[in-house]
Amino acid sequence: MHGEMPGFFPGRPGGEHDEPLLDMILERRPLPPGAPPEIHGLARMLAAVAGSAEPGDLAGQDAAQAAFTRLTSPQGTSHAALRSARRSLSDRPARGRLPLAALAVVAAGLGSAAAAYVGVLPSPIQHFAHVTFGAPAPSQDAPPITGSLASSHPTPGTSGSARRHSAASSGPAGGKTRSGPPGSPGWKGKGAAPGLASCPATPGQDRGRALGRSQNPVVPSPAPNQARPGAAQGQAASGPGQNTASPGSVPSGWPTMPSPTTACPNGAVPTKGAHASG
Amino acid sequence: MIGGAFGVALASARTGDEAAFARIFRDIQPALLRYLRVIATDPEDVAGETWVQVVTGLRRFRGGEQDFRAWLFTIARNRAADAGRSRARRPAVPLDMTEAAQLLTTPDAADQALEAVSTQAAMALIKSLPPDQAEIIMLRVVAGLDAGDVAKIVGKSPGAVRVAAHRGLRRLAGQVEQAGVTL
Repeated sequence: MHGEMPGFFPGRPGGEHDEPLLDMILERRPLPPGAPPEIHGLARMLAAVAGSAEPGDLAGQDAAQAAFTRLTSPQGTSHAALRSARRSLSDRPARGRLPLAALAVVAAGLGSAAAAYVGVLPSPIQHFAHVTFGAPAPSQDAPPITGSLASSHPTPGTSGSARRHSAASSGPAGGKTRSGPPGSPGWKGKGAAPGLASCPATPGQDRGRALGRSQNPVVPSPAPNQARPGAAQGQAASGPGQNTASPGSVPSGWPTMPSPTTACPNGAVPTKGAHASG
Repeated sequence: MIGGAFGVALASARTGDEAAFARIFRDIQPALLRYLRVIATDPEDVAGETWVQVVTGLRRFRGGEQDFRAWLFTIARNRAADAGRSRARRPAVPLDMTEAAQLLTTPDAADQALEAVSTQAAMALIKSLPPDQAEIIMLRVVAGLDAGDVAKIVGKSPGAVRVAAHRGLRRLAGQVEQAGVTL
């Protein structure tokens, strides 16, 4: 066998002698009968590769036909038609959507984490992030806390809502949330943020001043849950007595919560059930 | 290959004759898919892109069947390269035989392929070759292109194409001998 084709296999000398036979295979010409069996086997193998279509080899014919119809129509030369044809010819249009969805989820998660560390999340979520993975405590700029969320977190962690008080009172937004003057029924009811204590007003001093943080010397800002009228109606209806938070209930280790007593310039003990700054 | 009727089919397809286009498609698509299965990671997608480009340029094409096939496979190779780049994977058609490519020639792959005499088995053997040799063999044998057209497509001289094809065929024959099976 190898005497006929001494150089057929790689690494053997005289490889150039097999070139005519190899060219015959490449050009799909019939081999001479005396060719080595390996050559014949190789030729049969390649003929199988170049053979007739198998099931699946004509996959996409319908889509190609449709693309042909669209693209050969008078309006088929438009870019939109071309894009449409390309889309229709893709056998696996869903491929790539899963990675995109996963990427979106990851991006959303990272964005949420970043937002938590920046401190711009709504205070309940910010508090959750603070407790869960050490993000900063809720900031003063966080959106109002809702009654249901407030009641579920009657801890100083919600003090972000209280601290929001001073921010709200310093900006235009603080004014628009005021539904009445301090001490009015509406104010009192809505101002009862759970877990928040406030200083008693001293004579000649409104609540805002008593808190020592308010920048509005005349009208204190509302309690956080007053920013959404009606959102904390349940809390308001229950009254301050429902608020179980007290200065004594503040657990240690909450770094962002100053002592309630220090928040009162006159040294008075903050009262429960009212808004407070933190 | 359609042969003498190709010119008529092509002229009809240019005028929007779907049957003529279908005839051309059915004649070339199997070879195109098999070629793309060797060089591309998403052969069906690349084939679809190729046909869209072919249809788009059909009216401007001039030439015979051999020219048409060379044109179509050139488009397919370019689309495969684009797809490979976009996926940031290995180049679809490395020009040189690399060590990593040689590692693909494993006896296991050859043994598996030789267990069944089928197109898939033969394709597996060809895919085990270094990529440049596999591509050139597919273009020569499956696409039916001559050495000159293949040289233009792969960017090599006809002599280099011939050498690469011979090396690939010798390697394939060696695998046949190693397996002790005559296909």
